[in-house]
Amino acid sequence: MSEHVANASGVEAGGGAVMERFSYDDRIVRMFVGATILWGVVAMLVGVIVALQLAVPQLLTKSGFGWLSLIVNTEWISFGRLRPLHTNAAIFAFAGNAIFAAIYYSTQRLCRARMFSDVLSQLHFWGWQAIIVSAALTLPLGITQGKEYAELEWPIDLAIAVVWVGFFGVNFFGTLIKRRERHMYVALWFYIATIVTVAMLHVFNNLTLPLVIAGAIKGQAVTGADIAKSWPVYAGVQDAFMQWWYGHNAVAFFLTTPFLGLMYYFLPKAAEKPVYSYRLSIVHFWSLVFMYIWAGPHHLHYTALPSWASTLGMLFSLMLWMPSWGGMINGLLTLRGAWNKVASDPILKFFVVGITFYGMSTFEGPMLSIKSVNALSHYTDWTIAHVHGGALGWNGFMTFGMLYWLAPRLFQTPLWSRRMMSTHFWLGTIGILLYVLSIYTAGLTQGLMWRAFDESGRLAYPDFVETVTALVPMYWVRVVGGSMYLVGMILCGVNIGMTWLKRPKVYEVAEHEAPALARVYVDPPRPGSRLGANVGVGHKADVFIQGWWHRVWERRPLKFSLFVLVAVAIASLFEIIPTFLIRSNVPTIASVKPYTPLELAGRDIYIAEGCYNCHSQMVRPIWAETKRYGEYSKPGEFVYDHPFQWGSRRIGPDLARVGGKQSHDWQVRHLEDPRQLIPQSLMPGYPHLLEQDLRFESIQARVDAMAMLGVPYSSAVREGGAEKAAREQAERIATELVAQGGYPDMQGKKVVALVAYLQRLGTDIHAPAEPAAEATTQAEAGEHEAKEEKR
Amino acid sequence: MTVAPGSGPKGESLLDHEYDGIREYDNPTPGWWHAIFLGSVLFSVGYIAWYHWSPMSYSIWDKWNRAQVAEYERIFGEIGDLEPDEATIVKMMGDSRMMAIAQGTFIGNCAPCHAKDGGGINGVNLTDEQYKNVKQVTDIFGVITAGAANGAMPAWQNTISQNERVILAAYVASLRGTTPAAPRAPEGEAIAPWPGAKQGSE
Repeated sequence: MSEHVANASGVEAGGGAVMERFSYDDRIVRMFVGATILWGVVAMLVGVIVALQLAVPQLLTKSGFGWLSLIVNTEWISFGRLRPLHTNAAIFAFAGNAIFAAIYYSTQRLCRARMFSDVLSQLHFWGWQAIIVSAALTLPLGITQGKEYAELEWPIDLAIAVVWVGFFGVNFFGTLIKRRERHMYVALWFYIATIVTVAMLHVFNNLTLPLVIAGAIKGQAVTGADIAKSWPVYAGVQDAFMQWWYGHNAVAFFLTTPFLGLMYYFLPKAAEKPVYSYRLSIVHFWSLVFMYIWAGPHHLHYTALPSWASTLGMLFSLMLWMPSWGGMINGLLTLRGAWNKVASDPILKFFVVGITFYGMSTFEGPMLSIKSVNALSHYTDWTIAHVHGGALGWNGFMTFGMLYWLAPRLFQTPLWSRRMMSTHFWLGTIGILLYVLSIYTAGLTQGLMWRAFDESGRLAYPDFVETVTALVPMYWVRVVGGSMYLVGMILCGVNIGMTWLKRPKVYEVAEHEAPALARVYVDPPRPGSRLGANVGVGHKADVFIQGWWHRVWERRPLKFSLFVLVAVAIASLFEIIPTFLIRSNVPTIASVKPYTPLELAGRDIYIAEGCYNCHSQMVRPIWAETKRYGEYSKPGEFVYDHPFQWGSRRIGPDLARVGGKQSHDWQVRHLEDPRQLIPQSLMPGYPHLLEQDLRFESIQARVDAMAMLGVPYSSAVREGGAEKAAREQAERIATELVAQGGYPDMQGKKVVALVAYLQRLGTDIHAPAEPAAEATTQAEAGEHEAKEEKR
Repeated sequence: MTVAPGSGPKGESLLDHEYDGIREYDNPTPGWWHAIFLGSVLFSVGYIAWYHWSPMSYSIWDKWNRAQVAEYERIFGEIGDLEPDEATIVKMMGDSRMMAIAQGTFIGNCAPCHAKDGGGINGVNLTDEQYKNVKQVTDIFGVITAGAANGAMPAWQNTISQNERVILAAYVASLRGTTPAAPRAPEGEAIAPWPGAKQGSE
């Protein structure tokens, strides 16, 4: 098999036929394999818990089930804090470690070189695990940036940048440079795209102003969890754009491209078949890399995002269909002539189901990006079903196939139980089907209920909670399906763990031999035209489409990486620059004022509790929606929202216009225990907010930070008046609360700040154009408005 | 450069590439792949031209405006604008279609505090004979519009249109005398029956 025939027609020249001896570092691969299994179990276990948290709340009001409130209402594991832990663990811990295992194993072999530096490999491994552990510790404490899949706060973000670029990136590109294989195989192209683009996305979405910096400049002490607190430099529409540019491309470049690389290495290895089409690899790689970046705005259809961005998001998603399917075609057609093997080999079965789910997800993605389809699907479980088809089917099954293929090779002993592997396959497959079918049903059901009118012209289901109650049976099916998938994951851990126990005392380390690359390489002659055309341009085009120039790129890793960077950066800038520069994207609304200091503190509680995981703040211009929630949201309403909190799922109702809809008393009791007002509610109770003291002394620094980000606070509030203003407003609300028959003595509690924020939401648009007294003085507001008019 | 011509399952040629034993065929990209890809590009060009530049197209906001006009016409077209006076409110109490519409508004906005059947949760019971801020039927409209009791009852002026508030007031008036599942104790003072209407007629 290993007789080396590459470069048969190119010529290595300029000396250098000296053979070098080397071995591969498989220890680091074993470590990443172990971490993949460990975090896989954790991520899926947390997934089952959050699934339960949505299924059990309606039991809480029944006798004998009170103890379940531990699962639903406990502060540190309430849904809003645990769901980010689930998503981060699944993406960055489980899938992350899996792609590192794949990359470290295959890159060494595809380059015929050991990793550039064993020290960097170890730093990468331990650094990444430390990041995961710190995520698992901070998210339950409510330390979060409040942006989906980018929840981790700035100290962890910095660590991610260092580990990703400084350890992983340097190690990978170092290996490419000292490779002994002249050309880079397609798997390596996908790894390059992953490393370059994820670095870019991570850095630009996480540009924040940490509270400690604002505090240091203003000479205020910042203590406790506030040390990790930060706010994005972007606000409202722009923050939403950046977030989904990031969020969508995290799917693209963390969950798609590295797994395509994985597929291109492990599938032909396992099937022992050549890859179907080299040319398809080239075409689908470049089209995928260039087009994926544009598609982010499809997460923001019908929102306050400008319509041109929405259109680009939809169209590039549609155009992305074939580039995505290129990978599926190349994968499935590689198995031509090997289908009898698929029938008997669970590893190939995992790959086939994985690639099939990839094909389904990448068909469904473009479909969901069509505006009118999205109007139905957005904010429903349809999106959740879509990502789980991708995550459980594509990412999970490709990972399992790889793990089972690697285990006997890494541990140098046959897999412990082939039957258990087969059981895992069937458990996992049935688990995914139960999960996605029930959740598709839930999504469609809720989407249709939201928009249904009866013959009299009123909403058929005006009571939001009805549209949630209808989903609970499906949520139980999800718990069953998810649990089956988790059990499969545990079987995988047991199986590979037992294989590990049978390992030899000392691993055999194979020595390999290959010459270093010669300094000079002469490419094979350019192909001639195959056409009988009589125009020069026809001949030129035919020579071009034979792709010889790409073969040249493949032996120039840095140039290749630069081209990838240019492709993703250009595509990004085409959308980012207009988003930030075109004034008419966000028409200002004079009556929209900054949050008061107390409301700002309340907003940080809203973010810390992860309310955005279940509540949107975006009424779309859809008739059924304005009927239910009130006037549709305008871009100018969010100009002070660092970060934006538009959300992506409505397990609870939209809150964009919630201000003033209920009394303070209702809000406080509802936060304490939603089921004392709405027995069918799925929302966790937040009794701790009624007990914990609000740290008024931290509010000044928060206001100062916002002012540094450009929020126009009055000089009175900026120069030490914030805490006093907050205490006054808290007193006012507490007094009103008592007058409404509510709880006494709430003026010092966190709940007052949160209620202040909720009561403000969406009300500015109807406020008289005079400045709000708390936020701005008359003169300054006038100045501000004058400035706005000039724009 | 291809080697091993005709060695694939359908007679394709292998390329001379080999990476850790992995080989590649020199297969063309499928024709249907090109066709759909090209089709999606052409569709995109056409879509932009139609959606953003053609005078025939309309935005999602235009569509919403049309829906608003159409729906208002459908519901209130025959009745026109409603005034919040006693005669109108009492008349609306007898209009079963309007009461069905108002019930939707009530469940969506009022039921969180007053319960779906009006029996009250932490908002007052609307079915009994006693009222806190209401002396006559038009006061119900006033309370809905401007709120009451230090904000315990919020103001709905900005969120619900006048016509809808008028029929909502009528709906709330019609709840008087009905029997809720879990009534809250009466609050406020007993007031005279609504003029001319059979109570609890709906």
